[in-house]
Amino acid sequence: MTDPRPYSLQRRLLISMAVGFSVLLLIISWLLWTYARTAANRTYDLLLAGATLSVLERVTFDANAPTVDLPQTAMDILSLAPEDRIVYRIFAPEHGEITGTPDLPLPDGLTLSTEMQFYTADLSEPFRFAVQGRQMTSPTGRDWVIVQVGQTLRARNEQQMSLFLYGIGWLAGVSLLGLLFVWLAIRASLHPLRAIEGALANRSASDLSPLSGTPPHEIAGLFEAINTFIAQLARSRKLSEQFIADVAHQTRTALSALRGQLDLGQDAASDAALRDRLSRARKQTDATVHMTNQLLANAMVSHRSESNRLMPLDLRLLVRNTLADLLRERRMRDVSLSFDDQTAPEDAIRINGDEVSIREALRNLIDNAVRHGGAANTIAVRLMREDQDVVLVVSDAGPGIAPEHRAAATERFRSLDPVTAGSGLGLAIVRQVIEGHDGKMQLGTSRLGGLRIALFFPRLLALLLAFAALPSLTRAEELVIHAAADPQAMRPLIAAFLDQYPEQLPQPTITYVDYQTVDLYNDMLDDSVPVPDVVISSAMDFQVDLVNRGMARRLNLLTAILPPDWARWRSELFGFTFEPAAVLYNTNTLSAGDLPRSHRDLSSYIRDNEAALDGRIGGYDLRRSGIGYLFATQDTIQSVQAQRLMETLGRAAMRPYETTALMAEAVAKGEIVLALNVIGSYAMARNAAKPAIGVHFFDDYNLVMTRSVFVPKDAANPEMGEAFVAFLLSDDGQRTIQESTPLIAIRPPADAEATPALHASRSDTSFLPIRLGAGLLTFLDGIKREGFLRNWESTLRQTNAP
Amino acid sequence: MRLLLVEDNDALADAVIERLRSEGHSIDREADGSAADGLLQFAQFDIVLLDINLPGQSGYDILRNMRARGDATPVIVLTARSEIDDRIIGLDAGADDYMVKPFDFRELSARCRVLARRRAGASSNVFSAGAFRFDRAAKQASVGGVALDMRAREVQLLEIMLDNLGRMLTKEEVADRLYTFDETPSLNAIEQLVARLRRRLEGTPLAIKTARGLGYMAYVTDDD
Repeated sequence: MTDPRPYSLQRRLLISMAVGFSVLLLIISWLLWTYARTAANRTYDLLLAGATLSVLERVTFDANAPTVDLPQTAMDILSLAPEDRIVYRIFAPEHGEITGTPDLPLPDGLTLSTEMQFYTADLSEPFRFAVQGRQMTSPTGRDWVIVQVGQTLRARNEQQMSLFLYGIGWLAGVSLLGLLFVWLAIRASLHPLRAIEGALANRSASDLSPLSGTPPHEIAGLFEAINTFIAQLARSRKLSEQFIADVAHQTRTALSALRGQLDLGQDAASDAALRDRLSRARKQTDATVHMTNQLLANAMVSHRSESNRLMPLDLRLLVRNTLADLLRERRMRDVSLSFDDQTAPEDAIRINGDEVSIREALRNLIDNAVRHGGAANTIAVRLMREDQDVVLVVSDAGPGIAPEHRAAATERFRSLDPVTAGSGLGLAIVRQVIEGHDGKMQLGTSRLGGLRIALFFPRLLALLLAFAALPSLTRAEELVIHAAADPQAMRPLIAAFLDQYPEQLPQPTITYVDYQTVDLYNDMLDDSVPVPDVVISSAMDFQVDLVNRGMARRLNLLTAILPPDWARWRSELFGFTFEPAAVLYNTNTLSAGDLPRSHRDLSSYIRDNEAALDGRIGGYDLRRSGIGYLFATQDTIQSVQAQRLMETLGRAAMRPYETTALMAEAVAKGEIVLALNVIGSYAMARNAAKPAIGVHFFDDYNLVMTRSVFVPKDAANPEMGEAFVAFLLSDDGQRTIQESTPLIAIRPPADAEATPALHASRSDTSFLPIRLGAGLLTFLDGIKREGFLRNWESTLRQTNAP
Repeated sequence: MRLLLVEDNDALADAVIERLRSEGHSIDREADGSAADGLLQFAQFDIVLLDINLPGQSGYDILRNMRARGDATPVIVLTARSEIDDRIIGLDAGADDYMVKPFDFRELSARCRVLARRRAGASSNVFSAGAFRFDRAAKQASVGGVALDMRAREVQLLEIMLDNLGRMLTKEEVADRLYTFDETPSLNAIEQLVARLRRRLEGTPLAIKTARGLGYMAYVTDDD
């Protein structure tokens, strides 16, 4: 039996109060949560409303169908919730879908009206929508155009959470204050208990007088119980003193008798008298020895039962060995002893027991039988199982104990037979042992007419534990990378990734598929193409669009390796390079000092040098090059001069190129002398083999893009994908990018070899990173894109026309 | 017989020495554990009486050292603690017997005699107790020079019981030693065999005690 753990009243009271407070807090939390949701919705619905209105305003009637020029403002407004995915849809009931994601859910029972409506609906995750219509005059009458804009709930949830936490924080504070008062109150009311504690603590061990004083009603019972206990203790101490006195009496008496016999022997007149005295002294010694043994055994057994030494043991083996040992003694020669265990031989009878104590008890039982029943006694020992107990029965053919004496027989110093004169401790020892085993003892009459003593030990039930074998986790992994990036640049990165793999693990197999940006984008949207583990692309807008469709997996990367704020979105998309767009020029034809300082100057520079530059300016083919389109569209956002510059370039017969490499080649050969918005310029700057190429940056702004990476949600091996992304962004990965590839790290190691022009200017405000985020979606809109490209083509063609 | 008594209490040692000398044994005594350990490394004894609680070195250590050296001299442990543990009396512990103080001197002499008989029987091939004699080499038992007529199984059983004089053998242990692997021993047959052997030994000092459910033990009544 183990005591329950001690507890504190104060703590109990405090805990129940705390539980009460918690329930209150819970209710208030729920109210607060609902309120915070409403407040967050109210705030962020304004963003949806703003975006919807700005789109609605740009809806026009083109010939006989409505169309829209998606405003950047709409995306910018929505981007104020920077982590949220965006969907939109513009349609007209009379004309069908116009642009955006078709068939977005509408609220039930939508009536065409100019009233804005808000509602929540599930796509791949919950979205909050705003929908509003507008009536426009068309050739056939007045038609409705509906604009629907939706946004995921992340920003709302965060807002809700922060409002909620703020409120709950204060509430928790107030609750704690409340609990403090409760605690003070508890302390005050527990004071009388402390008084009792003090009174008891200051008592001397011998003072067993009752506590005095008048306790409060609530603890009167306790007070009384303590006093009852003290009285019991006093009684028990009296008994214990009695026991010591008894022991002293018994021992001294026995020793006096012995000394008497020896004295008489010393003075014996004859040898015969001496022998007689010695024989009596010997008998007296035997009795004294027996009594001493029993006293010590009694002390030992009571000590052992207090110091909990129970261990699982096989009772049958113990009984058998003890009996076999006893039988070797000479006094057992004529005793007829039998042992009967009624269990199958291989079935061990296990109990929780103390071997030494049980052996002592059994010895005492046999000893008693021999002592009281004579040297030729018949003793039968049986071991049986009975329900939850193992029963050890010792029966003999001796005189037995009359039923009326049985209760007294197990008390100390109660030897019932003055002739056989036991110590009066035998059965007391046995009782103590069985009580120490949480068992019980029964005295009865045996079939042989003598005493039957049954000891009941609680049986130990075996516990079976099954262990399930765990499958081994050490098989080789596979990593599939789909990338629209320079394979030359990626190779050292992959090698470095494999290098840092622990040797004892099997090396992963890496499958690398090289893509063009548009093909990669299309394949990702094609359900029949297997999903890779990592997607890398330089087309930031495409990557953002894929992530905005909910295709990316959320990665938990260490804060220390995260790229700057502008180069990551939603913990799903990460930029890992820093790549400014620059002007390349042929150093043989143009000198650095003459080049324009700003975008504004560029137009006039081209006009002023029309002769030298006509047909010798290169730019990206915006229809074929994703990067070119990205830079061109970003330029229109950054610069009001963009349209004018485009016209100037058209007049100067700008030559479109599909890739950076072709354009750089042309500059090096002198086919063109100026190339605009070129990515990869850094590589040329480093490359001493192409001395004819110069790199030029503007003072007003230079766009910076980043190659970005994400792990698809449906990746076969997302852990490996995540490991690769983590490596790209890690110190080792960034160092590899900086030192072993033509790319520039986004977070270059402090001691990295600097590319002078760029390194110095990294903090320069003229470098304007394009931010990964929903803002990049504007120019991906089908109508918007087509309009932009048509405008570009017609500008070039028109002005190029001879 | 040559005995070594390792005991630090002089009064007890004197009494033991006096008693055993009077029975015709030669007895040496050591009071210190380390000295006894040293002595046992080169001197041979027939029986060692070993106290546990000793100055210098404990009786357990001396016993362990003896057995580690391969010294198989019978050892009777004398201890004042009644809670004898398996370190001494277990199968592999090494002591042949133990006695708890204060012991009966007659019991001590009897135990010594049993051990001496077991040892003598194993080394000299002849076991004798009073008028009874058993020649192991000839497999022949006799009483007062008159040969006993015994069957082969009875002689085998007698040998087993003599080898384990003063020890309780279970019926299964007897069967294991009596029958080969191929024979199927019947426990009933063993009971009958023991009963027959006991009849043959009537009138000799050799007795076989039966304890039902526990087994059999041979002892010499003269020793008591």
